[in-house]
Amino acid sequence: MDKRIILPGERIAEGRLNAPNTFVEGGQTYAAVVGMVDEEGRYLALENRYRPGIGDSVVGIVTDVRHVGYEVDIGTPQSGFIPTRNIRINLQLGDFVLSRIKTVNEVGDVDLGEVRRLPAGKIIEFPSAKVPRLIGRKSSMLMLLRDYAGGDIMVGNNGYVWISDKSDIPLLLKVIKLIDKKAHKSGLTDEVAALLKAEKGELPAGRRSTEESYSGEEQPGEAEGEGPQQARQNEEPQENIYRDEETKEEGV
Amino acid sequence: MSHIRRDVMKKTLVNGARFDGRAMDEFRPIEIQRGAITTAEGSAIAKIGDTKVLAAIKFDVVKPFNDRPEEGVLTTNAELLPAASPSFEPGPPNEYSIELARVVDRAIRSTECIDTKSFFIEPEKALGLYIDLYVLNHDGNFTDAATLAATAALMDTKVPKVENNKIVRGSVDRMLNPSRLAVSTTMIKVGDYWLLDPSRDEEKVLESTITIATTDDKVCAVQKGKGALTKTEFLDLIDIAFKRGKDIRGILKG
Amino acid sequence: MSSEKTEVQLIIDGKRVDGRSPDDMRNIRVEAGVLGEADGSSYVEWGGNKITCGVYGPRECIPKHDSSPYHSIVKCRYMMSPFASSEEHSRSGPSRRSTELSKVIREVFENLIISEKFPNTQIDIYIDVLQAEGGTRTASVTAAAVALANAGIPMKDMVSAVAVGKAGGVMLLDLGKFEDNFGQSDMPIALSARDKKILLLQMDGMLTKEEIEKALDMAEAGCVELHQVQADALRRFYEGGEKESFRF
Repeated sequence: MDKRIILPGERIAEGRLNAPNTFVEGGQTYAAVVGMVDEEGRYLALENRYRPGIGDSVVGIVTDVRHVGYEVDIGTPQSGFIPTRNIRINLQLGDFVLSRIKTVNEVGDVDLGEVRRLPAGKIIEFPSAKVPRLIGRKSSMLMLLRDYAGGDIMVGNNGYVWISDKSDIPLLLKVIKLIDKKAHKSGLTDEVAALLKAEKGELPAGRRSTEESYSGEEQPGEAEGEGPQQARQNEEPQENIYRDEETKEEGV
Repeated sequence: MSHIRRDVMKKTLVNGARFDGRAMDEFRPIEIQRGAITTAEGSAIAKIGDTKVLAAIKFDVVKPFNDRPEEGVLTTNAELLPAASPSFEPGPPNEYSIELARVVDRAIRSTECIDTKSFFIEPEKALGLYIDLYVLNHDGNFTDAATLAATAALMDTKVPKVENNKIVRGSVDRMLNPSRLAVSTTMIKVGDYWLLDPSRDEEKVLESTITIATTDDKVCAVQKGKGALTKTEFLDLIDIAFKRGKDIRGILKG
Repeated sequence: MSSEKTEVQLIIDGKRVDGRSPDDMRNIRVEAGVLGEADGSSYVEWGGNKITCGVYGPRECIPKHDSSPYHSIVKCRYMMSPFASSEEHSRSGPSRRSTELSKVIREVFENLIISEKFPNTQIDIYIDVLQAEGGTRTASVTAAAVALANAGIPMKDMVSAVAVGKAGGVMLLDLGKFEDNFGQSDMPIALSARDKKILLLQMDGMLTKEEIEKALDMAEAGCVELHQVQADALRRFYEGGEKESFRF
């Protein structure tokens, strides 16, 4: 399969196209980052820097606790901020949180809301341009990973991925690395499924979240735009965050 | 010193007019004062409008470079004196002073106007010629003022006598007499217009800048700074630099 | 000065000392993504030049007073290793030359990076010349463009750079060290890929306007070739597979 690589500055459309990672000059649309064109002629970024957008669901780590709110590392140059008014639970330094971006001002300051604390786990950094592939079409990839690894995974639009300590972490790291490396290849879901089966064997019936959801060929970029929303289905913000034995007690 | 606000300046320039009423290709008044520093073997202060640059030439006995064992050494240094502008700070040379020194050095060196072979004294010993550029007051375009001061100072330079491998200070062996005169022309672009000899206020809004140094018939150094330009623009600017260079060489020759 | 220079024969039977024709470039190899920790990176082998480039950012601007609420600050550090030349060991750390080159290289990318998207941040471009054989600044620009693309930093265009000079009385593309040392003129040029804007331009030595015009044409042809090499490097990186065999 030989897909043409697109370099920054290459024209990708006559006229104005409102697409991420592009810019318009003289009425024409150009690529701003390295990308490629898929079978349907759409331009897909292979690499980008995460820029916070309103409504993005992000995974982060609490890095400062102040009486006005919490500072959260979400992988952006300026930390995200949870104002006290946007949160009803107490967080502690080092807590992992899933939250939604409420506002981004013109100098890049980010306010977060709909905060949910994540239980004990690990956070890994994943290229934000490839997040849609890690989620998969209709969350197919995520479901596949959750089923085989046995624990929960949360993927933020910012590229921070939280994986529960209950998961098979070495297996997940192996698979996530594969997805990173082959993000722009088609047949990725099948390849991942094959790897998981080779490592874990067939799953016993009943452990699958859905029977058909992750079958079938999938084209790169199909998850673009819909990935994050799909991810959110499972992540409805909860008033009382769920906890398990390993979770720290909430501050009083 | 009163200054014109950036946004006002930009609006004026993109409409093709200059705040001080000059034509786009017009220099401010140029004045050259030779022999300003009597402790140096040559010197000159060049003024372009309110911009003042002092160039002083000193000689020392130095060891030649290994790859040119029978030649003297030419060294150029520049200082942007903190008193010259609110934007200059005391401290070690920064990228602007280093660039200034290197551009003026390239222009003069490229012309081969100084016979460095005549600086040879004996193996391991030759005269070193130092050009020190002091930007005394910066109201824009210190590059052209510095090139002008350096060339004028070289024209003023007396090569001292050497006895027992030591320079006899205050003595004159001969005039240095540079064989070619390098002159630089700096141009900046704002909006659709290229303009010459920018003032400090004009420099604050520049989009592109380039310095082209010339002799009578050759380009002897080019340094593009900020921004971008097309090939056609560059070739047109070379013509302007030749024309302006001729005028300025006229002033230098008196 | 000049009389000694011309004693060295730089053109024999229309060929250059290393056998190239006047409009041939040296062998050039570009690799993307060679430094795993950097946000983007590249390696360029160009004749005897060996250069790595690592890009970080946009990240927090330090010191804070350098930052701008309007755009990201581009910072560039070009460094020559003390063992880069076949001559004596040179002093480590920045020299006057490297300070100037860092500035002109930075000015190339300030034109291209869409920096308004990342206020109050900085983007670092670190260029390390491990081995030098003439033309390191143009090789550095070519390398940095690939590293920035590899980092996913939005840019309006790609850029490549090559020097054209006059040696032995002939205009030559991509001067080698020998030709640079004994030639009459050197003119490094960087051109943007799409609209062929001049983004870096320096010159020393003496050239007529006609010679400069010729030099610009030769550089343009060279840059078209270089752009292809850069694109191939990025394609190889994103298609995977060949990275394992890579050595430098």
